[in-house]
Amino acid sequence: MTAEEWLGRLTTELHRRGVAPDAVVAEAAHHLRESGQAPERVFGPPAAYAAAVAESLLGPGVEPPGWVRPAAAGEEPGVEPPGAVRLEARGITKRYAHRTVLDGVDLTVRAGEVVAVVGANGCGKSTLLRICAGLTSPDAGEVHVRGRLGYCPQEGGTVERLTPDEHFVLIGAGRGTDRATARRQGRTAAAVLDWPGVDRSPVAGKLSGGTRQKLNLIMSGLGDPDVLLLDEPYQGFDKGSYLDFWQQVWRWRTERKAVVVVTHLLSELNRVDNVLELGR
Amino acid sequence: MDRDRRAQWLRGVLDLCVLGALSGGESYGYQIAQRLEAGGLGPIAGGTLYPTLLRLEKIGLIRADWRGGEGGPARKYYRLSDTGAETLASASAEWAGFAGVVKTFLEVATP
Amino acid sequence: MRTLAVAEATLREIARRRSVLVLLLVIPLAFYLARRGTEWWQGLRFMVMGVGWAMSTAALFAGNGARAIEPRLRISGYAARHLWLGQLLALWTVGAAVSVPYWVLVRVDLPQVRSGAMALILALTVLIAAPFGLGISALLPRELEGMLVLLTVLAMQTVLAPEARAGQALPFWFAREIGVYAVESDAGADHLTKGLTHAAVAAVILLAAVAVLSGLRLRRRRHLRLSAA
Repeated sequence: MTAEEWLGRLTTELHRRGVAPDAVVAEAAHHLRESGQAPERVFGPPAAYAAAVAESLLGPGVEPPGWVRPAAAGEEPGVEPPGAVRLEARGITKRYAHRTVLDGVDLTVRAGEVVAVVGANGCGKSTLLRICAGLTSPDAGEVHVRGRLGYCPQEGGTVERLTPDEHFVLIGAGRGTDRATARRQGRTAAAVLDWPGVDRSPVAGKLSGGTRQKLNLIMSGLGDPDVLLLDEPYQGFDKGSYLDFWQQVWRWRTERKAVVVVTHLLSELNRVDNVLELGR
Repeated sequence: MDRDRRAQWLRGVLDLCVLGALSGGESYGYQIAQRLEAGGLGPIAGGTLYPTLLRLEKIGLIRADWRGGEGGPARKYYRLSDTGAETLASASAEWAGFAGVVKTFLEVATP
Repeated sequence: MRTLAVAEATLREIARRRSVLVLLLVIPLAFYLARRGTEWWQGLRFMVMGVGWAMSTAALFAGNGARAIEPRLRISGYAARHLWLGQLLALWTVGAAVSVPYWVLVRVDLPQVRSGAMALILALTVLIAAPFGLGISALLPRELEGMLVLLTVLAMQTVLAPEARAGQALPFWFAREIGVYAVESDAGADHLTKGLTHAAVAAVILLAAVAVLSGLRLRRRRHLRLSAA
């Protein structure tokens, strides 16, 4: 690829990893000009270089924008503390046959907070989320949600023979949004997840697994919900889209939403506000 | 010479060599790479050099500032900080000792 | 409006199911043609049953197709009644559209048949078939089992003698009754009355079943309390 293309891709990849790209790209551009060599020879693929830069600057893992780092000398925290409680689950107990899957679990999430729910397979993470979303009844316990709810299942949740646009309109009608606005919201959200051309997309059944999950994720965020319950919605995402997903989670956090993410990938755990570990 | 082994050695000492390259005076990325190559280390890929520079800057061994070139775009110039100069001095002594020990082992191996 | 949004989505979904469309358009015609000529009144009966069966199948598939998205539609602000009513509206629309060419066919090909009664039969069949198929879908979420039930009902309708009382338990029994009135020029209006009554009862039972089953499946759970932000 040409130097311009390479530098453009580098900018995107730096954004995904939470690094302000301008200085890094300018320095790389300068080096390429003086050396006259091909960018891939000097720096390697854009994603790899961006990852190396991010690791040097930020340490392993990805940094969300506006993250409150421990205040160093002269540094000021840039983000407001979490606000009112949006989701409160108390004493959630669920039994299947002879197995107690959830035993008196509590979960509180405030506006502007991201909580990760972790645990081994089968320890009830999805069940807890379904109970909080009101899709399954617990054997004991209560859930109180203040505001609108959004839910993204691990898979499924789409209609095979409808196009993404038609999904947006359908969800929008439920939230009281008109068709044009619903489509616009959906398309904007798709662009953020690196899915341009969603308006020309075929029906959901013809999409790849990862793209279908992007549709799932977009649908859960339509209509501006206040609480988002996400059950490992990144199945089938490539690495870049996975990073885009976390950027979107932190964007929601900045928008003062309460976000719950079920995950078993632990590398992002030092970038969430709270971790609920099940199965202990 | 075995490329992998040489790369391993270089990984261990590149940051110190960069400090050494700057001891002669401030410089910018591409020029540092040229100094290292001219000094005998061979071509250093930008993909390796710049992350090293960023790490050294982050821990405060070098400082950087952007300067407008004469009639050209701004360049990022690096120079040794005081801590960097101290580190370079002590590393130099430590390296001499370390290299001496290794040399002893390698001489014994030759029949 | 929410119900119309569901109806529109269901229509689009059905329109993209080629197998269902073929069923709807071709099967009743094939049944009709099979007996055309000698036993044309049998052909008529089979055609109507074909419409009923194809419509029920369309409803079964529509119900199953929506299953994956219904929970999140609830979360997005839909009530259960929006969902099943919207699906019914879409199915009835499709049924009405498909019935017109069949009605025209009979009117042109068999002028001796009472066309008013014929229209009534087709309309009632569509009316009943939609909630019947949706009800089966609500009870049996896997398409194969649902299809088995539909095929069984169809077979029973065909096989049972007209006088058998057991036949009245089947949802499309009215079609045969009113059919007698439509086909036999000297038939009394009591066939018409009996048929209409059966259809009315069947319609009420099936619609209630769909409403109750959907409402149950998508009910607001008591453990969850929602309040404004």
